[in-house]
Amino acid sequence: MKISSMKYLLGQGIKNVWTNRIMSFASFCVLLVSLLLVGFFVLFTANVNRFISGIENKNEVIIYLNDNVTDEQIEKMGNDLKSIDNISEVVFFSKEEAFEKMKSQYENADELFAYFKDSPLPDSYKIKVGDISKMSQTQMKITALDNSDEKLIYQIKAPNDFANILIELKSTMTLISTAVVVALVVVCMVIISNATRSSVFARRKEINIMKYVGATNTFIRVPFFIEGMITGALAGGAATLLTWFAYDSFIDVLSKEMTLWNALGIKEFIPFDSVVLEVTLCYVAAGAFLGAIGSVISTRKHLKV
Amino acid sequence: MVDLKNVSVTYSNGVDALNNVDLKINDGEFVFVVGSSGAGKSTLIKLMLKEVNPTKGEILVNGFNLNKTKRGKIPKLRRTIGVVFQDFRLIPNMTVYDNVAFVLRVIDAPKKYIRSRVPYVISLVGLKDKVKCHPEELSGGEQQRVALARALVNDPAIIIADEPTGNVDPELSFQIVQLLRDINKCGTTVLMVTHEQELVEHFGGRTIVLNQGAIVFDKILEGADEN
Repeated sequence: MKISSMKYLLGQGIKNVWTNRIMSFASFCVLLVSLLLVGFFVLFTANVNRFISGIENKNEVIIYLNDNVTDEQIEKMGNDLKSIDNISEVVFFSKEEAFEKMKSQYENADELFAYFKDSPLPDSYKIKVGDISKMSQTQMKITALDNSDEKLIYQIKAPNDFANILIELKSTMTLISTAVVVALVVVCMVIISNATRSSVFARRKEINIMKYVGATNTFIRVPFFIEGMITGALAGGAATLLTWFAYDSFIDVLSKEMTLWNALGIKEFIPFDSVVLEVTLCYVAAGAFLGAIGSVISTRKHLKV
Repeated sequence: MVDLKNVSVTYSNGVDALNNVDLKINDGEFVFVVGSSGAGKSTLIKLMLKEVNPTKGEILVNGFNLNKTKRGKIPKLRRTIGVVFQDFRLIPNMTVYDNVAFVLRVIDAPKKYIRSRVPYVISLVGLKDKVKCHPEELSGGEQQRVALARALVNDPAIIIADEPTGNVDPELSFQIVQLLRDINKCGTTVLMVTHEQELVEHFGGRTIVLNQGAIVFDKILEGADEN
């Protein structure tokens, strides 16, 4: 196909958006609603995942050390702990620090604490695990560090129940969100295909005439493809603006109760500004793709002349 | 040239549309095809455009053996045929100019050629002043002349006119057939399907009568208008 023909078909596609404005508007609305449905759900899921990750970061494993451990051994253990790949944070907590903390917690027990010249509590390491689902493997790696005859580790205290609940919660959330997104996408595809089908059906005679004068299927499809793509991309753009406005308004309302959210472990919601590029690209690309493919598939039936 | 050898068409519902038809139309001929409803006239056109395939027999149209022509080659076959329909079948959102030019755009004709050829053909059918009009702004006769211009613009080897006068008043009917006769005089083969006996009697020429899917008459008639 010559460049001049491509230019002509491109022009026809653009022109057809306006010429068939009623059907284009119907497709635009269907695409817009479909994109908004999926978009809002994805943003909701992203916030829930962030909330779960926030809780996950609060995990803390405490490694209590024996009394006879030397400073060199403590330092070596610290380095060894840092070399374990699933450990994201290692903090040493000396017996003195632990004793001071205990004293501050029980202000009326000075008499009791006076009996102790030195701290009765053990030195410890507080660590944070990166991937909570690998909690037990990480624990095994820590235990394996203590391989000398002289036992360094007195006890490891890990939030295994907490980890199990979180793992369960995460997998359930992933399952539900995937199922909902797939279901929404399928429903949207059906609605979009019906909208584009009726748009193309209204112009079946036009396609028929083109076939009779010897137009190839590609020649007939290109303007429909471009028309669908433009309508879809416009729907994507409009979906971005609507999502931006609606999401920001919603977050504003929720942020008024921030203390409540903080108590639940949510420090902040995902600000739209931080994902605006991704959301715009996804909306416009998905809209253009669905619009173009929907139009082309719908023309197929009428091309068999 | 059109050559049908022992062609039969039976539709999936069991209707025999054509039975053992033998028909040869040479280049430059003007042929009337006459027949009542259900005689097989439309099937004959559909066969020539490869819209339906024969159940039996062989068809040659403008050098294409339609029994062997693959789906992808159908556009090339159709570009050698100009078709005029009873209901005009113009693209509603295109102007007269664009409806006619579309045929040339389909074949990737150079822009310069389109710009000179399209106004020329439109003026041939007498619609020079209507180039920018849309089909809905034209009368039935004018729309049919646009359809004629569209059929003609690509300089096809054959023009098939399927009841081209069916939707226009009698006076315009004669004008349209006369236009087809003029086109034929320039060397284009014309096959005109009609049920209007008056037109056939007036213009005369080779006349084929179809009845229940068979050719029952194929003779050259003397017309009242022998010009």
